[in-house]
Amino acid sequence: MEAYINNIAHEYKQGETILEFVRRIEVNENSIPTMCQDNRLENFGSCRVCSVEVARIENGPTKTMASCHTPISEGLYVYHNTEKIKRLRKNIVELVLTDYPADKVLPANNKKATPFQETIAQIGIPNVRYPKGKNHLDIETDRAHPYIKSDLSQCINCYRCVRVCEEIQGEMILGMTGRGFATNIIKGFDTTFDESACVSCGACVQTCPTEALTDKFETKTLIADKTVRTTCTYCGVGCQLDVSVIDGKIRGIQAPETAEVNEGHTCLKGRFAFQFYDHPDRLREPMIKKKGEFEIVSWDEAYDFITTRMIDIKNKYGADSIGGISSSRATNEENYLMQKMIRVAVGTNNIDGCARVCHAPTAWGMQKSFGTGAATNSIEDLKQTDAIFLFGANPIKGHPVTGAKIKQAFMKGVTSIVVDPIQTKLADLATHFLQIRPGTNVAVLNMISYYIITENLVNEHFIESYTEKYIEFKNHIADLDMDELEIITGVSKEKVKAAAVAYAKSERAMEFHGLGVTEHFQGSKTVMLLSNLAMMTGNIGKKGVGLNPLRGQNNVQGAADMGVQPHQGAGYMDINKPEIQQYYADKYGVDKMPIHEGLKIPEMLDAAIDGKLKALYIMGEDTIMTDPNTNHSIKAFEKLELIVVQELFMTATTEMADVVLPASSYFEKNGTFTNGERRVQRVNKVVESIGNTKPDGQIIIDIMSKLGYDQPTGLTYDAANVIEEIADVIPFMNGLSWDRLGENGLQWPIKEDGTDTQMLHIDGAFKKGIGTFHNFDFEETPEIVEHGNKYPFILTTGRELEHYNSGTMTRRTDNQTILGKDVLEVHPKDAIKKGIKDNEMVILFSDRGEVKIPIKYSKKVKKGILRTTFHQPEVFINLITGSVGDKETMTPEYKVVAVDFKRI
Amino acid sequence: MANKNIRSLSYRKGLDDNLLENIADLSNSDGTKEDFKELAKRFLIDDSVVAGTTSFYDFTKEENRNKKVHVCSGTACMVAKSQSKVNNLLKDHFKDEEIGHAACVGHCHTNAAFMFNDKTYSASTKENIENIVIKNISSSAVENSYYVGCNTTPILTSKVKDVAEFYSLSKKYRTKQKEAIDEIKVSNIRGRGGAGFPYWIKLDAVSKEINEQKYIVCNADEGDPGAYSDMYLMEQQPHKVLFGMYISGLIVGAATGVLYIRGEYPDSIKIIQNAIEELKELGIAQDFKFKIIRGQGAYICGEETALLNSIEGLRPEVRVRPPYPAQYGLYGKPTVLSNVETFANIHWILDNGGEAYADLGTEKSSGTKLVSLDSFFNRPGMYEIEMGTPLQIIFDDFGQGFKSDIKAVQIGGPLGGIVPIQKFSDLDLDFESFGENNFLLGHASVVSIPIDFPMIQFLEHLMEFTADESCGKCYPCRIGSFRGKEMLQKAQKEDYKIDRQLFDDLLETLEIGSLCGLGGGIPLPIKNALNYFNDELNQYFKSN
Repeated sequence: MEAYINNIAHEYKQGETILEFVRRIEVNENSIPTMCQDNRLENFGSCRVCSVEVARIENGPTKTMASCHTPISEGLYVYHNTEKIKRLRKNIVELVLTDYPADKVLPANNKKATPFQETIAQIGIPNVRYPKGKNHLDIETDRAHPYIKSDLSQCINCYRCVRVCEEIQGEMILGMTGRGFATNIIKGFDTTFDESACVSCGACVQTCPTEALTDKFETKTLIADKTVRTTCTYCGVGCQLDVSVIDGKIRGIQAPETAEVNEGHTCLKGRFAFQFYDHPDRLREPMIKKKGEFEIVSWDEAYDFITTRMIDIKNKYGADSIGGISSSRATNEENYLMQKMIRVAVGTNNIDGCARVCHAPTAWGMQKSFGTGAATNSIEDLKQTDAIFLFGANPIKGHPVTGAKIKQAFMKGVTSIVVDPIQTKLADLATHFLQIRPGTNVAVLNMISYYIITENLVNEHFIESYTEKYIEFKNHIADLDMDELEIITGVSKEKVKAAAVAYAKSERAMEFHGLGVTEHFQGSKTVMLLSNLAMMTGNIGKKGVGLNPLRGQNNVQGAADMGVQPHQGAGYMDINKPEIQQYYADKYGVDKMPIHEGLKIPEMLDAAIDGKLKALYIMGEDTIMTDPNTNHSIKAFEKLELIVVQELFMTATTEMADVVLPASSYFEKNGTFTNGERRVQRVNKVVESIGNTKPDGQIIIDIMSKLGYDQPTGLTYDAANVIEEIADVIPFMNGLSWDRLGENGLQWPIKEDGTDTQMLHIDGAFKKGIGTFHNFDFEETPEIVEHGNKYPFILTTGRELEHYNSGTMTRRTDNQTILGKDVLEVHPKDAIKKGIKDNEMVILFSDRGEVKIPIKYSKKVKKGILRTTFHQPEVFINLITGSVGDKETMTPEYKVVAVDFKRI
Repeated sequence: MANKNIRSLSYRKGLDDNLLENIADLSNSDGTKEDFKELAKRFLIDDSVVAGTTSFYDFTKEENRNKKVHVCSGTACMVAKSQSKVNNLLKDHFKDEEIGHAACVGHCHTNAAFMFNDKTYSASTKENIENIVIKNISSSAVENSYYVGCNTTPILTSKVKDVAEFYSLSKKYRTKQKEAIDEIKVSNIRGRGGAGFPYWIKLDAVSKEINEQKYIVCNADEGDPGAYSDMYLMEQQPHKVLFGMYISGLIVGAATGVLYIRGEYPDSIKIIQNAIEELKELGIAQDFKFKIIRGQGAYICGEETALLNSIEGLRPEVRVRPPYPAQYGLYGKPTVLSNVETFANIHWILDNGGEAYADLGTEKSSGTKLVSLDSFFNRPGMYEIEMGTPLQIIFDDFGQGFKSDIKAVQIGGPLGGIVPIQKFSDLDLDFESFGENNFLLGHASVVSIPIDFPMIQFLEHLMEFTADESCGKCYPCRIGSFRGKEMLQKAQKEDYKIDRQLFDDLLETLEIGSLCGLGGGIPLPIKNALNYFNDELNQYFKSN
């Protein structure tokens, strides 16, 4: 396979375009100039400056072809820099400049050149010989959006924004109107960014080669002192970000194209919502509550206060009277140190984290089924799957970059099944949508299993070779009454059957699930039934299949890996086994480890109320706002003798603390986050710590030292050193090191030699030796059984794209301008029956309490179902959520709350 | 390939609930913005897609929705100078803003053409126009009638006597797809849309594609002003066209055929629809579904990939190639796409054998070709001419010479060459003869340029046509044709001379830089004019 560049032969690759061929051979991205080209997008061919001459014989008659969309072929002679081509390029630029502001041809003084300015400089800026004609220079600038600005007088109609919107984000907000010279970029039905349905991802701004589209930070043209690659803190996708710093301040963020996870894309949180980091509200000094008021103190005073009190309490009530809550937003190293502090320096297994309120059932259930509590496959597998089964998740909002990829697949027609009580955008696009009543996950999965079995679509070979207890499961399913389950779920048997058949008939089917699976009374059971589905159809252990939890927080996978669980230490080893205790004791260099399982968060709160737990050490968690049944949490906190909180901002939880320690944000420290596909990625320090803050890891090391345990990697927090210790302690991370992580991280298990793992349980080789089927009956949640009659509506909670969890960070950015309130989504008929108008404030109440919230008519919820979010403290929705949790893991049932509402 | 998501979502609704038809219906029924948004929602696409498509076409864009009558602005009517009169007469009945334009309605044999109430007419007397717009009567004086002739074995102009018998030929090839392709290969028929690509290669390529869904698409968007041969075939030989599509479907394994007929040919749409109904009544070809999609006024839709996008309801912007329609055509499925006239030939080829067809015409250009002559001929009309026939014979014997003095003809539409009278004798009717002389056979329409018609004005018309009809995707065509038009206008109106070097650069940029044949084709006639009418044009240019 040979072709020629300027008469010299080179090997070409199958499927390569001339442009790719020449750029690769010449190792020069600029060897052929382009304007409309973006490597991530489909070939388009509008600007034509990439044209080259091609011939069939050496120096033979040539044809001019656009290199970006012409494949290279055997024996083709390419001449990409002839006089004719140079003239063509210059003449095209001249045409472009007839409709482009003359003062934007060269970069402004203190600005970096735009890609367009670079390209025309490379081609040679021609004099414009055309007489002044019609132009688009007076198009009005659109400044309505808080982040994105358009000045289409600088638009060169390359369509990159339109294409990136559709091809990367999966939206079609940007479009083109008119034809010929009158074509113009539009947003929506020719409105502003702000008024359109734009999701503010900023992909258009990043790809725009001019300043026609810019963000308020003018990121594209910043001349940065430095640009630091780091991992986003906002969700389990783990986008890589390039953060630009000028004078020690963050000035803008771009998504690097070389990042495997996000391939040059990210969402409005990752790209724009960074201003929280130096917000005036940031905690900057340690504080101790004295006589009911917080007083600024020195770190030493704070440390002395904390450690003295902790030692007192330990001496008085025993180590088990102290508990620690760690944060999935903190780094692996910090989570590791936190659990180590509680276990080694305090001496109890009372360590838990926010996985308790989200994905604990995933870890637990998948361990029971497969042996590993983590995604079996990688996001990349979306490219190879034939079917996507999305259960209880809305990744468009919760995991926007993965969501966009899933949306793309849905739109392109992959078999797609959505199970959700809410008619999400993905549900609209799906080929099958089962809109179940919240809380009936087990029922619908039993129905799906039933039809896969009765339609003879099970993979007998896989079941026989690699699994156990299938017969029990099958017999159990056979006894179920589909008519009864149809009534329970509220979805017709026909629909369920069609979805079941579609899933089972697909060659490769991928399951994704979210908190709509886990935050339920039967959460862990649902996870195990999802595992059953994958096993009974052989959808495990190969590309494009598997069970793939969409992890909520950026490092919820990592926190659990690091041992932030009361029953398992770092690396998922059961701490109640003596040999494991010995293992950890040896690794940590101590005589002994605490021997019995610790308390889960809800148990800690109950223990506090019972007077058994006396102190809580919290790292980066707003327990009061985010845990259910707030009044119960407050009652527990009020009984504690010591509450220490490490935080970025004052929260409902810090308000109740005795000591508040100001922590550095993720921009201010090193470490690693592990994303939802087990990928450990570097977090690199971008700026110095704000005020007098310290990284969480440093604080923990300091406290440990004062409690009598000196961290062996040194008393200064150094992520690379801590990683070495982690690699030594956790068997499946043996090959991990800071250097090896490189720019795109490593997916665990990481072997000694540093090779990582994209896929688990290959060819039926389950981690636990054999895959195990479980069977369960649907059981109505006690929430409905006990309160359903008095409170006839079911409230289910979720989140919105603009905000992250309780909003401590995102509310302190312009994201709050885009979406500033929580609303209660109500089916219009339900609201009208009560005489309540759209947008009216209502009182929403449950057995636990009441909140005030405006309602929004929505047909995305069925009658009898209400939906809201928990981002805004004004509403404080957890005042009304209940204490029912998953039976196995105690993860709260945020998704089913018996409520009613009335007008104020 | 861009727009895969939108294309795929449009495919979900397909041809029965077609996006373009929905947009056209809303436009015709004065749909509100909310209606359009509702449509977008129903198709799971965003507003910008619907807005973008709607704003593209002459007949759907908002500014044109109040138009009640469309006056032909095609080249033939322009050179005949018939339109200002028509326009004035229509003003007696319509407000200025109710009078729009249509880029050629196929009355080039008579001129004075306009479209009203979903019908086209030629009328330039007060009485005739009143009859049409008020009394709703048309007479032979205004009907679309023209002479039809043939100089050889009639293939396209012979009558179909018995429809059932005509279609019975399909039985023979139902299981012999390979043989059918071989016959067509032997016939050496080349696509009649203008590009002259061997038709059998398309059939062969699509037949080899493995896909449950394949399409046959007939390009009946005969936008070249001056050409009405596709119109003739659809209106007078509909079954020849339909049979060609049907048998192509049987050959490649496609069960759906789409006829994309331009909206300026309302009668063609009705007659083809009737022919499809007739098949239904006769129970013929019922294993094949025909669908008519009505064009909404955009010349670019004659370009095959723009046409495919148009059917899909996308903006009819030209796609990159590869992939070719044979691999990635309508809705991304393998598609045989060819011109009306190509399809109309297939029955004769399969009935009489490829060799018989190849015997007609020249070695490289086999068969016959329809030639449409405009109103400057003494006998305007539609002529089926054997390939290779000298042009002079067609003009003299069939057209019977010119009514008045002309200085050139433009053959093959706006992108065809401008042939000065002294070159007539050098040309034969075939692809090669035209190519060798730097002209273009194209669709073989002939528009005469009268001796007193300023060539600079003709060039302005060509550039303006290109600027008006450019899809706007590629830079050379989008900006270049517009600047070209501006310069040609300025040179006539003001004391401004066009920089000849700049103009040559512009022509070269258009020719070698454009994405499709529109921008790439327009330099040909302009260069012909600059070559043969330099004396006349020189005054508008300066050279450095």
